[in-house]
Amino acid sequence: MSEPVRPGAGPAALLRTPAFWVVSALLAAGAVRMSQILHRFLAAYPLATVTAVGLFALLAVPFWLFVQELDFLEREPAGLLVVAFAWGGLVATTVSIPGSVALENLIAKLGSPGLAADWGAALAGPSVEEIAKTLGVVAIVLIARSQVNSVLDGVVYGALVGLGFQIVEDIVFAIGAVAMAGQGDEVQPVITTFLVRGFLAGVWSHTLFGALAGAGVGYLVVNTERSRRRRITVAGLALFGAWASHVLWNSPLLRDGLGNGAVALLAVLAFKGLPPLLLILYLVRRAHDREAEYYVARLAGLDDPEMITEGELLALGSGSLRAAARRHAADKKGRKARASVRRLQRAQARLAVELSRAPDDVGRYHLEVRAHRAALVALGHPEAVVGARTWRHTASTIGTAALAIAVLWVALAALGGA
Amino acid sequence: MGTVTRRHLTDLPSTPGLLGAFVLVAVLAALAFGLPAVDRAVSAQRSLPDDTPYRVAAGVTVVPPDGATLDVTGTRPGEDRGTALFRLGPVRYAIAVQPFSGDLTAAAHRLRQRITGTSGYQVTGTQLAVSTAGGLAGLQGGYTAGDRGGRYAVFVVHGLTIEVTVSGADLDLGRTLPAIEASTRTLRFDGTR
Repeated sequence: MSEPVRPGAGPAALLRTPAFWVVSALLAAGAVRMSQILHRFLAAYPLATVTAVGLFALLAVPFWLFVQELDFLEREPAGLLVVAFAWGGLVATTVSIPGSVALENLIAKLGSPGLAADWGAALAGPSVEEIAKTLGVVAIVLIARSQVNSVLDGVVYGALVGLGFQIVEDIVFAIGAVAMAGQGDEVQPVITTFLVRGFLAGVWSHTLFGALAGAGVGYLVVNTERSRRRRITVAGLALFGAWASHVLWNSPLLRDGLGNGAVALLAVLAFKGLPPLLLILYLVRRAHDREAEYYVARLAGLDDPEMITEGELLALGSGSLRAAARRHAADKKGRKARASVRRLQRAQARLAVELSRAPDDVGRYHLEVRAHRAALVALGHPEAVVGARTWRHTASTIGTAALAIAVLWVALAALGGA
Repeated sequence: MGTVTRRHLTDLPSTPGLLGAFVLVAVLAALAFGLPAVDRAVSAQRSLPDDTPYRVAAGVTVVPPDGATLDVTGTRPGEDRGTALFRLGPVRYAIAVQPFSGDLTAAAHRLRQRITGTSGYQVTGTQLAVSTAGGLAGLQGGYTAGDRGGRYAVFVVHGLTIEVTVSGADLDLGRTLPAIEASTRTLRFDGTR
C-alpha cells in the first residue's frame, strides 16, 4: 500500500476535509436505503436473499483481486478502495433506482410505450448509472486527490465503483427473478441470475464501464501538461465510451436475430461485449505500461543490483512477468521462495514510489529491499527473474483454458436451451 | 492515455473540497429527485378509443372499459411478452402477457405467490373459474392490502400466461369492477405474434 503523497496528510487531515464528511454522509444515506431494501428482501425471501448475497459476494473476490493487482507498483490505500466499492454499491445504486425508472417513464411518455419497451432499459439505465458511478471517482478525487496520480489510478477506482454497483445490482435482479418466478423462497432463479449476470455477463459489465469512465477522470486530474479543454474532452469521451458500451450491451440489437442455442448466445455475447472489452483492456494495458515504465525508470536510475537487477527490472514492469518470476522461484526453491520473491517485488515497488515522492528520504525502503534480498539469497535464489517456460506451466495454462471453455459451453448450452 | 506525474498532481482548483462536494450532491440530487420530479410533471395518461381492441402483446388483445386511460409508464408492448396498464380514475387495471410452459393451476399459483410476496398483501376468498367471450378459460380470485382491495384473473393459452390484476380502494373498486370484468371477458388471443 502506498503512503499518502502529501507530507503529513494522515487520517486527521482527512477528517478536516469538508468533502470527506459530505461523501461520508452520502455513503451513510446509501447504506440506510440499501439496508431497507435488503431487509425487505430478507423478510420475503430469506433463503434466496442469503444465497444471492453469498454467491455475488464470492464473485466480487476475483474481480477485486484482479483490479487491485493492476496497480501492483503503486497500490491504492485499502480505505479508498473500500470507499470506491461502497460508492458503487450504496450511493450509485440508491440514486440509479429512482433515476432510471423516471427516465424510462419519460421515454415512454415523450416517445411511446413501444420505444420504452425496446430501448428504455438500453437508454435510461446507462444514462443515470454511468453518471452516478463516475461521480464515485470524482468523490475519491475530492477527498484524496493526491492518491489519484495516474490514469491507472482512475481505472482502479472506477473499476471498483463499477464492481460495487454490479454486485448490488445483481443481488437486486436475483431477488426480482425470485419474485417474478412466483414459486416462493426458491434459490433456482438466483442460480440462473448468477449464471447469466455474474458468470456470462459479469466480465463486460459495470466493472469494465466504470474502469473506462475512471480512466477519463484520471486523465483529467493528472495530465497537467495538457490544456484543460483537452483533458475535459478526453474525460467526457471516456464517460461517453462507458455509456455507449453500456447502451450496446443493454440494447435490443440481436435480441432474437441469431436464434436460440449456445452458439447464438455466444455470438451475441461476442458482438455486444467483445469490442468494448478489447478497447478497454487495451487502454488499461497502455495506462499500466506507462505507469510501470515510469516507476521502473526510477529504480533503474539507482544503478544498484542489490536494490534491483537488470533481470528484475524487466520482470517488475509487467504483471505476467512478475507472476512468471514467482513461478520460477517456486519451481526452483519451493513455495517459500515464491513468497519471498513476491515480498521483494512489493518492496521494490514501494521503493520506486518513494523515490518519485521524496528521493532524499528513502533509507528505510532501501533497508526493506535489502532484507528481502538477503532472505532470497539465504534460500539460494538471489534474483527474482523470469525462468524458461516449463512444460508444466504450458500444460497448466492449456488445461485451465480448456476447463474454462468447457464450463462456459455448458453454461451457454443450459441457458441457450432454456 | 496518461502519464504519471509525481508533483502536486493536478492544476485543478487547489481547494475544491466543499464546493466540489456540493456540486457532487447537486448532480446526485438531480438524478435521484430531479428526474422523478420531471417524470411526475409529465402526464402518463393517454386516452383510448371506445370499444376498440387494444393489443397488449404476443397476439393478446383486450377491449378496455369505456372511459379508461392508458398509463404509458406501465405499458410495454412486445412480440413475445408485454404489459398494458389502464386506469379508471384511481383504479389500476393491469394485464401482463408472458411465455409460460405450465398449466392453468400452476399459473394461478404463481400469480398468487407473487401477490402474497408483496408485504401486506393477502389473498382472500376462494378461486373461481372464469371464461372470456373468445373462449379463454381462466381462474379468478381476490386479495387485500390494508384498505385497498384487488382482483386477479389468470389465463393460459398457446404457451402464454395472461395475468390480470385490478387494485384500488374498496369503494372505487365496487363502482368500476363490473366494467373491468366485462373488459376482461373481451381478452382474446388472435394467434399472431
